[in-house]
Amino acid sequence: MRGRELHFYLAGINNQNFLMRDRETGSWWQQVTGRAIAGELAGSTLELMPNDELTFGLWKSETPHGQGLVLAPVAGHGDKDYDKKWEEEVAKYPVPLTFPGQGLKDRDVILGVEIGGQARAFPLAKVRGANPVEDKIAGVPVALVTGPDGESVRIFRSQLNGLDIELYRDAQSDGKSDGQSKGQSPEWRLLDAQGNTWNFAGCATSGPAAGQCLEKINFLKDYWFDWKNYNPRTTVYSH
Amino acid sequence: MLNRSENRGLWLLLGLLAALCLSLFLIPAFIIRPFRYQSEGALRLAIAVKRIAPALTVAATVGVLAVGWRLWRGSSRVLRAGIVIALVLSAASAVMVRQNYFEWMFHPITAAGFVSAGDARLSDKEMVMAVRIGQEMRAYPIVQMAYHHILNDTVAGVPIAVTY
Repeated sequence: MRGRELHFYLAGINNQNFLMRDRETGSWWQQVTGRAIAGELAGSTLELMPNDELTFGLWKSETPHGQGLVLAPVAGHGDKDYDKKWEEEVAKYPVPLTFPGQGLKDRDVILGVEIGGQARAFPLAKVRGANPVEDKIAGVPVALVTGPDGESVRIFRSQLNGLDIELYRDAQSDGKSDGQSKGQSPEWRLLDAQGNTWNFAGCATSGPAAGQCLEKINFLKDYWFDWKNYNPRTTVYSH
Repeated sequence: MLNRSENRGLWLLLGLLAALCLSLFLIPAFIIRPFRYQSEGALRLAIAVKRIAPALTVAATVGVLAVGWRLWRGSSRVLRAGIVIALVLSAASAVMVRQNYFEWMFHPITAAGFVSAGDARLSDKEMVMAVRIGQEMRAYPIVQMAYHHILNDTVAGVPIAVTY
């Protein structure tokens, strides 16, 4: 922030979204927005770094051998703290806020996208159901793509050199990957009407656009009530 | 010897100072309860109180000590017990407002260790948060981040905070 390196620690909870403080100025930050809400840096917002939520298997397949590093369990903490069922348990917690009326339950997991001041929530169940989900937000065409592991999701701006493109799954690669329940199927790919094939990194592997990559769009995987709380005017994808 | 009304005033002051200390700790703790709703106004109050609490609780505890000292000699056993209780509550509040009890629940990562993808004992199905800056790639397993919540890291020279 303004050329100063900050180090954060957990400092509180705001409607089940945590608050953190930085050791350097003691300012208070909201996790979900990256915005300082009190203290010397109040009003500033941290820059969101591009990031993905992937299965470990997929991450490995995209990481050149020996280049990636994985956070190791912290000494003194094991399976008791790193509870693999935490997601199911959190789903049972009460919610501090409720937003009925848009067809979603408070703890439905959504993928929240914000483009040009317009926010839209994509129910994860719908994104994983159809492949890929195509939509327009503030005039920008987007494609929500579920990866070859059937879990990892990425969102791309489905535009190439300023022209909208439509991505669809290669039926052939679908058929082949059915037999492989885990790991990346080498045949997994997307096609478009221009004759390109695309991988899950959003890069054209063959066709006239070979070597080009689509712009990746950041999104937030969140509970519906939390997303709605910070994006009161959000719409919900419902096709 | 203190006269009666002066005495009453000092007892009142003692009680108020102890109550002040206690509320400086309890007000934010009450507002920021995990599963409850926090309105914007309440949250602002909680943060404002937390910011002044460390200095104010010390000042008030010193006040309790000074007033208690003056009242001690003329007091019965029962009243002296009251002075001790006021002092203990004030001092305990002064200690508590300096504690980050959220970090008692979720231990912070003070020294992060990393392993190569091949050495990680993680199943392929586990979700990770993946960050790539330049040629450097990191995977932060979500089961770990869901417990620790925050990790300060540096990737390709860029300081980042990983949060979950």
